[in-house]
Amino acid sequence: MNGHGDDVQPELPGRARRRLRSSRLTQYLLLQVVIAVAGVAVLLQSLPGPPAQYQLTAFQLTEAGAERAVTLPYFSLLRNAMTDPPHFRGHFIRPAGEAARAWSVFLPRFTNGVEVTVNDVVILDSRRDPAANRPDRNTPAIAVIPASVLRDGDNAISIRLFIWGPITGFLDRVWVGPDEALRPTYNLRTLVFVTLPVVFSSWQAILAVILGIMWVMRRHEPAYGVLAAAMAVGVGQAFLQTPMGETPFSRFNVILISSAPLESALVLVFALLLSGWKWQRYAWIIFIPGIALALAGLFGNQALVRALFLILAVPMVGISLLIMAVVTARSALQRQNVASFLLGCAVTIMLTCWIVDLLSVFQMMPNRIFTARLSYSAMLVAIGAGLTWRFARALNQVDGFAGRLVTQVREAEEKLKASFAREEERARAAALARERTRLMRDLHDGLGGQLVSIVALSERGNGSAGIGDAARAALKDLRLVIDSMDDIGGDLMLALGSWRERAMAQLRPHDIALDWRAVTAQGLPVHPELRPWHVIQIVRLLDEAVTNAVKHAKARRITVRIETLAGADGLERGCITVEDDGRGFEIAPDGGAAGAAKTARGLRNMRSRAARCGAELELSSCAQGTNKGTRVRLTLPHRFPDSDGAAG
Amino acid sequence: MNSLSDGPKAEAITVVLVEDDAPTLWRLQDALAKAGYQVRAAGTLAEARACLAQGAPKVLLTDLQLPDGHGVDLIRETRRRFPDTEIMVISILGDEESVISAITVGATGYLLKDAFPTDIAATVRDLVAGHSPISASIARFIVRRTQSTPEPPPGPVLNTTKLTPREIDILWGIAKGFSYAEIASHLGLSRQTVPGHIKSIYRKLEVHTRGEAVFEAVQQGLIKL
Repeated sequence: MNGHGDDVQPELPGRARRRLRSSRLTQYLLLQVVIAVAGVAVLLQSLPGPPAQYQLTAFQLTEAGAERAVTLPYFSLLRNAMTDPPHFRGHFIRPAGEAARAWSVFLPRFTNGVEVTVNDVVILDSRRDPAANRPDRNTPAIAVIPASVLRDGDNAISIRLFIWGPITGFLDRVWVGPDEALRPTYNLRTLVFVTLPVVFSSWQAILAVILGIMWVMRRHEPAYGVLAAAMAVGVGQAFLQTPMGETPFSRFNVILISSAPLESALVLVFALLLSGWKWQRYAWIIFIPGIALALAGLFGNQALVRALFLILAVPMVGISLLIMAVVTARSALQRQNVASFLLGCAVTIMLTCWIVDLLSVFQMMPNRIFTARLSYSAMLVAIGAGLTWRFARALNQVDGFAGRLVTQVREAEEKLKASFAREEERARAAALARERTRLMRDLHDGLGGQLVSIVALSERGNGSAGIGDAARAALKDLRLVIDSMDDIGGDLMLALGSWRERAMAQLRPHDIALDWRAVTAQGLPVHPELRPWHVIQIVRLLDEAVTNAVKHAKARRITVRIETLAGADGLERGCITVEDDGRGFEIAPDGGAAGAAKTARGLRNMRSRAARCGAELELSSCAQGTNKGTRVRLTLPHRFPDSDGAAG
Repeated sequence: MNSLSDGPKAEAITVVLVEDDAPTLWRLQDALAKAGYQVRAAGTLAEARACLAQGAPKVLLTDLQLPDGHGVDLIRETRRRFPDTEIMVISILGDEESVISAITVGATGYLLKDAFPTDIAATVRDLVAGHSPISASIARFIVRRTQSTPEPPPGPVLNTTKLTPREIDILWGIAKGFSYAEIASHLGLSRQTVPGHIKSIYRKLEVHTRGEAVFEAVQQGLIKL
């Protein structure tokens, strides 16, 4: 719990914090004192009574065989007087001419039950009213005297006071007079001491349901469950009345007398849990008084229960209130928490009422009006207000959290968008740079070399045919580069179509036939990953093969075979074969051509181009025999590589 | 396009040749003159119009970038005035950018500036014989345009909606480098009918008038009325 206090003011040094804490404590205690003083002041105010002229105070009392004159209010010393109750006898005068008005007997307060007789006719027996039988409720009684019973002039009234504990008997002043004069006071008392408690009990029932639901939905907060149980006990206590007389249920109903200690124990546990206390096993002792009382009610007799009530229930309520006062004060001070603060004020009010009630029981007060139960409504209001406050604060926190979340998500989104745009920009720039590099390399490989040789030839002055060839080769290469930039949708056949035209134009002056055979119907498989630089490498490789056949092999016929082969791994691979009927050459053990250096360089170029595309190049050459000539067999990869890694 | 058999000598065939680069002009003129064609050479658009004023030529070969105008205008005018004249573009690279725009105003294929003299003569001879040449790269460009794409592809506008599936199949064959004979056997056609199909393709790609251009644009959804 100290941790919470430290959290609130973490930056203050120890002394300043202590000073702040003590000043807060002083303020809090002062406020509680003011509340207590105000409570006592209110309790000392006596309720307004009917006109004093109808008040009866002088009675002849017969109690325990002795007869004497008494003045009401009268405190009896007896705790149990059922068979021989104290008997009050008095007289009242009804003036002549009052016969037209109804007269009533009004008893504002008595413990435990009264039987009123006027002119030897019983007009009221409060024992039949269950609410009136409860000593903790200040239930008033009123009875209209039947007109036939009343006489003009002197009338006799006698009251028998039944006492069945747990406290001693009491009879407040009695009024006898016109009903219209007495009724307003009776109504006021009924409102305050009967109707209001019912209203608060209903409120308690609603709280029990709300808290029960809250506990069911939030099992990790047992405080709500405990409070819901307390509320339920209170509701049962309020609405299940204890009837007089031995009914089959009276033994069961007597358990209800244990509701006060049980309820106070539960509320105490709630207050402890609310202030951050963790449930301990020894805490069961809190419930011992209530359980002992319930067991006594089940197995003992009523006298035992009533005796135990005084020594178990009343102190239990007081002790619970005292502990709660300390705990809530501490919680209110350390957490600066509205719920704890409200609860603390309510506890102070209840404690004040409880002390006043205790004084009243010991006859230290002029009257006997019990307010502890009534003041419990202050706690119910505090609990309701505190719950609502917590709920509203939680909603605000959720709103704040949602708002923060929305802001954070928006910020993150914007950051992401910005970084995405940056990334896209970077990727575009990189792609552009890569494309430019590739274009430069392709133009350098082909066009650059050819233009250089044009320059060299023109400087020599006599090689006009050579210049033409070189220039034509340069143009051919330029067309290849431009052609390769076109989107062919991964269909290499579309690139080979153009290549066929160029190759035929190249071969026509040399009078070499080009035999074009698409062995499989669709030619080559479609490669969606095919990139322009793959196309350029493959077409240059094929150009190289054709050029070799023209320049070095002296071939008459070149056959290009295009087919799709199903490999051993079940994958389809394209295969392009360029075959000539030329002289052929010896292939050196290292795979290069033995002989002309130019041919050797051409073969090396072809191998490097094939490697860059992930294709396999197979060379075979035969210098003699019927199937003499050179065969270049290019097996395309199942998937072309993304990067020009093998280029080095 | 690769029928290289020696045909009859074309004595009376007139060719108007429009090319602003003098060495290229001489080269082409020599090649055609040697093959027996009667060549009227022009270096500018104005000279070309003067040549055309002398009468309808059988063939018009024209460069696109001319000092005083664009070859496309000349092709359009010629097409309108002399519907029987065969028109071809002279191109350095044979790139679709220039060739397709010429085809849409009435040209039939292109001639590379560095083609061998024999090839130059053979191409013109085939053209006169009614065999419209079409290169693999141009065929490829056209068939790629027949495939629907989410956004308009770059390059010149080309309306391929009038082409029949058979014509598109033929274009695919050409784009993939198959010969007419191979295409004909694949499609179950007679080899002789393939050049006719190609001529028809050229005519269908041609946008004749401004009104028709608007009509086709509306048909293609390029213009909303």
